Amino acid sequence: MTARSVSVVIPTHNRRLSVERALRALCAQTYPAEAMDIIVVADGCTDRTAEVAAGNWPVRVRAIEQPPSGPAAARNRGADAATGDLLIFLDDDIEVSPQFVAEHVAGHGGARTVVIGYLPPELQGRHDFLAIMLRAWWEMMFDRMRESGHRFAYSDLLSGNFSLSRALLSEVGGFDERLRCHEDYELGYRLIAAGAQMRFAAAAAGSHHEYTDLGRALRRKRDEGHADVALAHRHPALIPALPLSGDYGRLSRRGRTLMRMARTRPAAGDALERIYRGMLPLLEGVRLRTRWRRLVDDLLLYWYWRGVGEAIDAASFVSLVVKAERAPAFHDVDLRAGLDAAARQIDDVRPEAIRLRWGPMVVGTLDVQAGAEPLQGRHLRSFLEGRFSRRLAEVMVLARLLRPPSVD
Amino acid sequence: MHLSRKVGTAIVQLDIEQMSPDVGVDGRYTRAFVLIRRRGTPVAQFYVPVVDGRVDMQDAAHALLKQVWTSRWRWAVDDYLGPAVRTSPLPAAAVAICTRERPEDLTRALHAVAALQPVPAEIIVVDNNPATDRTREVAARFPGVRYVREDRPGLDAARNRALAEATASIVAFTDDDAAPEAAWLGHLLEAFDDPRVLCATGLTLPLELETPAQEWFERLSPFARGFERVVFDGTRHDPVDVAPCGAGANMAVRRTLIDRIGGFDEALDAGTLTKSGGDHEMFGRILAGGYRIVYDPRAVSWHRHRRTWEALREALYGYGVGVYAMWTRRLLLEREFGTVRHAARWLRFTQLPRLWQTLRGAPGRVPLDLLFAELRGCLAGPLAYFVARRRARAWVERRQ
Repeated sequence: MTARSVSVVIPTHNRRLSVERALRALCAQTYPAEAMDIIVVADGCTDRTAEVAAGNWPVRVRAIEQPPSGPAAARNRGADAATGDLLIFLDDDIEVSPQFVAEHVAGHGGARTVVIGYLPPELQGRHDFLAIMLRAWWEMMFDRMRESGHRFAYSDLLSGNFSLSRALLSEVGGFDERLRCHEDYELGYRLIAAGAQMRFAAAAAGSHHEYTDLGRALRRKRDEGHADVALAHRHPALIPALPLSGDYGRLSRRGRTLMRMARTRPAAGDALERIYRGMLPLLEGVRLRTRWRRLVDDLLLYWYWRGVGEAIDAASFVSLVVKAERAPAFHDVDLRAGLDAAARQIDDVRPEAIRLRWGPMVVGTLDVQAGAEPLQGRHLRSFLEGRFSRRLAEVMVLARLLRPPSVD
Repeated sequence: MHLSRKVGTAIVQLDIEQMSPDVGVDGRYTRAFVLIRRRGTPVAQFYVPVVDGRVDMQDAAHALLKQVWTSRWRWAVDDYLGPAVRTSPLPAAAVAICTRERPEDLTRALHAVAALQPVPAEIIVVDNNPATDRTREVAARFPGVRYVREDRPGLDAARNRALAEATASIVAFTDDDAAPEAAWLGHLLEAFDDPRVLCATGLTLPLELETPAQEWFERLSPFARGFERVVFDGTRHDPVDVAPCGAGANMAVRRTLIDRIGGFDEALDAGTLTKSGGDHEMFGRILAGGYRIVYDPRAVSWHRHRRTWEALREALYGYGVGVYAMWTRRLLLEREFGTVRHAARWLRFTQLPRLWQTLRGAPGRVPLDLLFAELRGCLAGPLAYFVARRRARAWVERRQ
């Protein structure tokens, strides 16, 4: 049996040294080198990144240069040029493990599988609060996916390290080049809608050399605000899942103020934000973690809503969020027959929404979740362990109490 | 060892699903420490009177219901769901015992370690600054046990040596005066599926409560931290508040913690001037780095508390020194100002009320010499830390 042909696509922008590090790791794979090729897409690079392809690599490396047009366009150029049957998209700041390619290939069961790899954050020994927060954020994303009962959603597609067949990517039409960020989420949405099955492969790992500072993290939030408005226009069904229609009822007064100013009085808001941002080093200096964290959360929120506010005016915002969903049809699943039987029933019927019952009593409902994969039997356990465990216990006790007396 | 007078507390273990109305213990006990399990998992502990060699089950039932009233609803759900199936194998582990001149205790510990399931990849005995060859001789009697001699004095120096000697990715530490149960290691290892977990701790219970000193130790500074599994996440939990995280007598750490946050502080813990605190200092640093500690009460180990009153007083003095030594480091070297508030709270809500109760002669009061020992230790802690730190440095320089 010959090994499946794999193309690794690395979009990059002026990070030649990072690209060389990524290539070195990719050239030391357990996977046969003759079944691999690497495409570096230099997006508006001025540091002669394309010259790395000329190096003496044991794997075929090609470089494509394009005028600056963003990572989505760069990934599409790379995919067009790829010859492999399987495409692995990799960011330039990742140093992969030797089994990386082999694990991606092994993760593909069917033709419609999307394998998401693991990116343990590498923070160069940084111990500052921001580094700790970023690492926790990344690891939390992967923690959820590591659970066997995780229900994958559009936002699990992280473009830094994932693979899919070339046929599947061209079937859904590639990345949307109009988006400046969240182009991976947008693709994730279309992939799930096309029936793709996402899968997490912890062993398909690469250390992620993260250099983000606070300014970059906040700018990124602003871009996300822009991107979410674009996502909402493109896929109205996704609106309920986006942070812009989230519930901000439990926000502090500072958070509410910042959020309001972001959309109504951005000039004053920016001035206030600068004052708050200046307080962060002081809080970190005296190790007031919780206060620091809350303030950063508020600032991130501010810049998200600044982005939203720039992308859309108030009137169309209301009409956007108000676009109502329809009421789903609930399918009843009785848990009394046991966990396995209930899980099988879900897999057989494939309902879009579920009402979990214990005989006549309702344990809980699993609603339609925008942008998430269809409900499957394997999701059931984690719902019962988490959200519904208390109610399930109550219902089981009640059922025992209400049982008719046995006739002896 | 067995005393014929009427003192001491019997250790009794019962399964909640097979409780008999009549539990007998040795007639010399007046009280029993009861551990209740459910299908092997510890769920409750309490003291009950013993009358004529019989545990008072009325009292036991009352104490039991009070403790499991809320958790028992959860058991129905657990039974319905069945045990979770592990999808990945457990990581390889080394078990390390740091010891100094306690051959009898070490023998017991090694017997317990030899019975562990799963079998550890390595068993390492670190003999810390030994005066005799007895530890080496005991270790040689057990097949597959690696003996390592560490001449730098101090438990934390021995722990760092164990981390350096081990090749497995996880190193589980058990004290020489403790005996872990067969399932101990497996439960600790389960926590390490999560890459952010750098440390797992378990439930430590008294092996025996034969003397007043052991009973007072169990009352004043028990190792048990409850029957719920807890994940302490450094991004949410205050890194100064480490007492609930467990204790070094029963813990496993990921070996890469040396690269991420550094090894154990060799100026701390037994064998140095600071006498204790090395484990809690490490817990604090793990949390401050944003990593996680998991406390899992299914990882049970039985600890032999010190038997004599003098040893107890010394232990409590040592805890006082260690706690304040550790806080000195946290406050002055790591600028964790929350330490001050924490110390003030301990004084205000635990130490002073205890002292007040003793002085006014309240029932159940703590003997004054024990309280004073702890307070004296607290006062000695800060200076002890700096002297111990200088000595630890001097050791390193001498070696180079």
